[in-house]
Formats: sequence, structure tokens, C-alpha cells
Amino acid sequence: MDDAKKYLSDRLLSEEVPVTYRLLSRVLNIRVNVAKQKLYEFHQSQNASKADSIHATYLIYGSKTEHKQPETGDTDMDNSVPEPEPLSDYAPTKTVTIVAEENLKDALAEYEEVTSFHIYSLAPFPQRDLALLSDVSKSLSDYRKIEDAAKTLDTYGIIANPQARRKDRKGRPPVPAPVPSASAPKNVKQEAPPALSKPSQTEKVKQEVKEVSSAEATPSSSAGKKPPATLKRGASGGIMQSFAKAAAKPPKPKPEPKPKEEDTSMALSDDGEADDEDLPTSKSIDLEALKRTRKQREEELMRMMEDADDDIKEAKKEDEQSDEEMEEASEAEPEPEPEPEQQPKEEKEPTEVISNSGDGRRRGKRRVMKKKRILDDQGYMVTIQEAAWESFSEDEAPPPTATKPKPASTPAASSTQKSKKAAAPKSGSQGSIMSFFGKK
Amino acid sequence: MVKLEDVSSLLQAPAPEQKVPVRTDSTYKPLHSFALDKQRSYKQQYGDMYFLRLAKIKPAVEEVASKAWDGTEIGGELAKRVDRVLDVRQGELCWVAGTVYMDMRLKPNILEDVSKDRWLSAPISSQKYYSDDGSDQIMLEDDSGRVRLVGELLNSIPLVTGCIIAVMGTENTNGEFEVIDLKVPDLAPQPERWALSKAPSAKSKSEDTDMTDSPSPNGGKKVAIVSGLSFSGTDASAYNPLPSQLFDEFVAELLPSIPVTLLPGARDPANASYPQQPIHTAMFPLSRAYASDPGAASTSQPGWFDTVTNPWEAEIEGWRILGTGGQNVDDVFKYVESDDRLGMMEAMCRWRCCAPTAPDTLWSYPFQEDDPFVLKSCPHVYFVGCQPEFATKVIHGPDGQSVRLIAVPSFSKTKEFVLVDTETLEVTKIKITSR
Repeated sequence: MDDAKKYLSDRLLSEEVPVTYRLLSRVLNIRVNVAKQKLYEFHQSQNASKADSIHATYLIYGSKTEHKQPETGDTDMDNSVPEPEPLSDYAPTKTVTIVAEENLKDALAEYEEVTSFHIYSLAPFPQRDLALLSDVSKSLSDYRKIEDAAKTLDTYGIIANPQARRKDRKGRPPVPAPVPSASAPKNVKQEAPPALSKPSQTEKVKQEVKEVSSAEATPSSSAGKKPPATLKRGASGGIMQSFAKAAAKPPKPKPEPKPKEEDTSMALSDDGEADDEDLPTSKSIDLEALKRTRKQREEELMRMMEDADDDIKEAKKEDEQSDEEMEEASEAEPEPEPEPEQQPKEEKEPTEVISNSGDGRRRGKRRVMKKKRILDDQGYMVTIQEAAWESFSEDEAPPPTATKPKPASTPAASSTQKSKKAAAPKSGSQGSIMSFFGKK
Repeated sequence: MVKLEDVSSLLQAPAPEQKVPVRTDSTYKPLHSFALDKQRSYKQQYGDMYFLRLAKIKPAVEEVASKAWDGTEIGGELAKRVDRVLDVRQGELCWVAGTVYMDMRLKPNILEDVSKDRWLSAPISSQKYYSDDGSDQIMLEDDSGRVRLVGELLNSIPLVTGCIIAVMGTENTNGEFEVIDLKVPDLAPQPERWALSKAPSAKSKSEDTDMTDSPSPNGGKKVAIVSGLSFSGTDASAYNPLPSQLFDEFVAELLPSIPVTLLPGARDPANASYPQQPIHTAMFPLSRAYASDPGAASTSQPGWFDTVTNPWEAEIEGWRILGTGGQNVDDVFKYVESDDRLGMMEAMCRWRCCAPTAPDTLWSYPFQEDDPFVLKSCPHVYFVGCQPEFATKVIHGPDGQSVRLIAVPSFSKTKEFVLVDTETLEVTKIKITSR
């Protein structure tokens, strides 16, 4: 009760943004029907103390008074010529109306019978443009909790269906990215102080709850007050999301190896999407996007390098931490974000074998997907993608090569990579990437 | 007329912690009638489709025709059956069955395109192929030849390319066939309810699957049919990923509660030609958790979130349902003068073909072994999506068949969708408005 009041007065009176019953239900983890009631109580009490301070929109459902058409018998198929006889049988119509409180009485007057009636939303101003409410609905997805759909059903009062069945993923290569990323931020969310009072907090937490699909993270959110943590998260965001993170990097070299992790996990989740069935085109599409993303990131990286020298030591020290101690490592950071840290480890793949590294140069072989064109047995030209090893030599922390989406995982490989990265924290990485994709 | 005082009690929810109701069981069995082989070839000719269709439907229409016309005497002459169109003799009263071909000035003509060396099909400019200046010609053809049909009767009976009919009359001196009477195959045999799936043993209680909080007065189970959601983001010139993302989020909210079946439409990311194959679930990263395992055999359980073909056939709650995204009706609409979408749907049922104008003007896969558009059995419900307005009616067949026809309006234009009661097959229209 108090939670609701607090949240509603914050959101409505201080922030002056509308609240729908569904949003309230998601924020407070209460049944939607209870949320409707809370809105009603708040509306009553606020307007009692100060008239017209809160404005409601209502949802009405029922049958409108209608001029019934007489029921007609069958029309014959020969009726191509328009006749007075109506072409369609009579069918009852139920109408859902979302109505601002100013028009409520008029709207109700059009109804013959109302079977459902409740407050849909509250706003600190008269709701003239109902399209604004759809923006509120869009933010609902930030509260999505993947991992226990069954529980949320009861929390929100959704009618459960015992028959509902999810895809059985047994016997298929696991897709590691989505599940851990969903559960880890969940913990974060629970630990976070009640989101109600601090909108900025909510914002951040929401961001983390966002799932693989949320391809359009806003740069502002990741540019929050905990940049290193944000970067470490390694949650498998969409392409745009990782781009946003990269763009929001602080001038510190420490996070520099991280893009690698993000990238890998991102590539993996992409692969997880595609390996369901044969989708030869999807990879090239991803590459396009990744290419763009990488370019942005490189620019960021370069800029960052310029004032990074001071912090190299710190970076080294951190990177020496082995994978197994990841959690400790992150705790050692000023602002830790432990859980998601484990992901990259799981998702790492032996995409690189480093034969020689030191003095800032890395040489070795890496695994890349190469396009190959062959004639098949029917004489058709087919383009296939196949994994191949390519030797490389570069003088930089490994550029995040997204061209290796393979859901294998060996911690060893990732640790190798990390130490390499630590060894060469400086200077740009463009060269190798350029040769890779033949950009521009 | 409802006053605020009458309903304001609804605003305060009474008991705070009610037990959330549980959905009753529903049965759903998709038929995969329109699924294409993944390794399909496009090299073959379309001619086989017409041959197959005629071979499959001709016996039915001939049965209807011989029942009606056997022993018919006109002017002392007995109407006799003729096997092939080419066997029609000038001046003899006879009847013959064949495939209709419409020769229309405004209709795109592939032969013309090829002969003029146009390798891209011209954009279809006209809303209708039909022209009211009388220049349209109706032909009847089979594998032997074709004959032009004339007669008053044809003005009152809409026909399209690809439907199979029988006509009685005589060939006049111009070599045209004067039609005296015309028969269509009429509704195919209709299966019993629960022909394929097992009826639940215990009669289910009336649980409300409606969207309301309070039980609706006629509260049986309902199937909602929503069409024209424009979720693909392909309507504008540039691709917009947001609509499909929002759609995915929305469907993912529904799925724990109700199963969802998704048919592709004209602008969705599926193949453009009929039958459209299912939209790949990679489009829906959240909802796909409920989709069927692509590796699993199609004989296993259907996905809870089932992306299916268009057209699509299934048995829901024992009823045979046939649904399409609307392209078949939209194309037939261009052939005829009328705006009566239900009439066109009815005609398709009575022609026993749900996409007669494929492959002439409705793009289609070149079938070789089977024409799946032929209705082997008559559905109980036939719905067609993306129509300009809602309409419904029930049609009846000669053997007691009855079909509920539903033209489902495009939601993005009308903000309307349709509920079908799974016991009575009664239809309710739901409209969403704001003011």
C-alpha cells in the first residue's frame, strides 16, 4: 500500500509521467487487479486533498447500444449484384474504449452494458494524447523476467495455462548466452534498493534486466555511474547494445580487454539464434552490423589510448587474475558487478592460438569463417562458409573479431587471450581488423 | 445507456487475493497440408497444376452435373455428356466440364511478357482485372482444347481463372458455347467434429478465455483471430525492426496463458508465393522459446507458438479450420465486379479450391504431384485475413455441410478482431477505441 503510494507520488507528482495499471503491477510485483485498485485509491485520495491534481483514463469493455440489423438467411453465391440484403450476418460487437476522465460520462452513455470498467492509467495532466500511454506500455518489457515465467504468472495474476510448453532444448548445443544473462541481472535487481523511490536506480537495473533481444539500448543508460561494471557485465546484449557500451567507455584502459568478451558473447548469442536451422544469410548480415560496431569501438579505443598511459599498471594487475578467480577479481574492482562476470568464461571458444607474444606483439593463428565458392554435384555455384585457421600478427590487444561465432567453450583459451591482452594494452588495433574485412 | 454510478462499484476490486483462474485445455492439431519440402525445385512448369486440379475436381462436378442434367430435354433434344471440350459438336445439346480461363484485358499476361521480352513482371497497376466494357472473355478448357463461353447466365455468376465448372448448352455457329446452365462442384464432404483429434473426455467447464476480467455472458472457450498487425516493419520503404520486436514482446506475454498460431501475410518475411511457408522463429527471440523444436519431426507435438503456412489447415477443438492471410480472396476480388468478400469465400468453398487463381495471377509454387489448394474436405470454419471490413455468415451444402465464413478485418486499419466460440462457432467482433 505504502509502496504504491510512494511510487505513484514519485512518478506522477515529481517526475510527471503517466502510470498504467500494468506498469504499477510490474514495478511493485502485484496483481494487475490490485494495481487497478491502487490507482483508484491514489486517484481518490490525491484529488480529495487537491482537486484536479491527478487525471485518470479509464478502460471500458462491454456492448454498445447498437442498431441491430435484422438477421438474414443465407445469401446465395449468385448475389454478385448488390442487393438491399446485407451481405454479412449479424454478429455482436464488444467494444473496448480507453477514455480520458473528461469524456467518461459520454463514453459510458454509448454503452448498453458494461462488463469491465477500471482505471487504465493516471497522469499528472489531462491525457489528451493517448498515444503517450503506449510508450508506457513499451517500457513494460524492462520488467520482463524470463527465468521463472510460472512465478510471474501468479505475481501478476495472469491466467496460467498448464498446457503451455516451452521448447525442449535437450540434445542440441546449448545456447549459453540468454539464460545466465537473464538470471544474473535478476539477482542484481533483487539486491537493489526498492526501485520505487529512486528512478535513476530503476533505470539502471532495468537496463540490466534487458534481454538478448533488446537491440536498442540507449547510450545514456550504460553511461551511468558505474562504467567499469557496466562493461564487465558481458551480458549478451544485441549489437546495438554493445555498441552503446563501447561508446560510453570512460577514459581508462582497464576496460579495454572487455570488449573482447562482450563481443564474443554477443557473437555467440547470434549464433545461437542462427543455428536452429540453416540460415546462411544471417551471418553475413550480422557481420555487416558488427563491422560498423567495431569501427565505432575502435575509434573509441584510440581516443581512450591517448590518455591511458597512467593506468596501465592497474590494468595489468587486473588482467593477471585468472578466470577461476574472476569473482574475486571483480570484487577487487572499485565497483564490482560479480555475477555476469562468469559468462564470458563459459562462452569462450578456442578461436585463437597464440604462438608468440610479448613485447606488445602477438602472433599466432586464429579461427575465422571464410566464404568459399564451389560447384556442387548438380553444377550449381554455391557459396559456403567454413571455418579456417588464419595466421596473424598484430601489435595490439586482440581486436574483437566477431567472425567466430562457435558455441564451444574452453576456459583455457579465454585465459590465454586475457593474458595477451594484458601484455599489450596500448596502441591501436585497426590494422588487423582492416585486413580482415577489407573495409572501406 | 450506462451511467457512471451504475458501474463505479467495479472500480474498487473487492477481494484482494483471489486465486488466479487456470485455462481449460484446448486441443489443436495443425495439418501441414500446405508445407513445402525445404529442398524444393522451381524448375517445373505450371501446367501440371491445372491438370491435377481438373483431375481431382472433375469427378465431383460431373457428379453434380449428371444428377442435375441427366435426361434433360430441351426442344426435343436430350442433353448428352461430352468427355472433352474438343468433342463438343456444333448445334448439339451437351454438357461438359473443364477449367475456366478468364481472358481479361487488364489482367497481367505472362505470355505477353515473354513474347515482348519483358523479364520483370510489370507492376500491377489496376485494382481490378475486371472491366465493365464487355471485353472480358470466359473460356472453358481442358487438356484437349478450349472453347469460349457466352450467354446471359454468365453475367450473374462470377467466375475466375482456375475454377472447375460444368456447363450445359450448344456450340453456336461462331464456335462459341452458349451456356444454358452451369454447375459447380459444391461443398466437399465435411468431416465430423473431432475427426482427427480426441475429444476431451470430461466435458470442460465454461472457462472464460476472453480478454475480460469478468465472464462474458455466453462464456464458452473462444478463439481469437487477429489479422493485419503489420508487425514486420516492411510497410515503409526502409526496414524497421521495432514493430517485430514489440510484437515479439507482446506475444511472449500471451504465451504463458494462451497458445498462438501465426500465419504469414503478404508483406511478412516469408516467401511471397502461395503457399507461404512459416515465418522463421528467429524473428521472435522471446516467443521462440515456446515454438516447436525445428529439429523435431513434424509429427511430434505442434509448437505452443506455432508459425504456420498460409493457407493453413488445422483442427481446433475438433473443428476443421481453414485460414488464409487474404491474398487468395484479394486476387479473386480483382476478377469480379462485386465487393462481396464473403461471396468470394463462399464461391471458393463451392469451387472446392481455396486459391483458384493460382498460378495464373496469384503467385504460386509450381506443384507437380498434388494441388493442395483443392479442398478435399470442407472446413467448419473458413477465415480470411487482412480484409477491408469484418463480415461473417454461415453457408450450407447439399449434404448437410455448414461452413462459418469469417472475413477478418485488418487490425492496423480497423482496430478490430474476431472471437469465435469453440462450441457454437458464433462470432463476436471486438473493437478497440479511444476517445
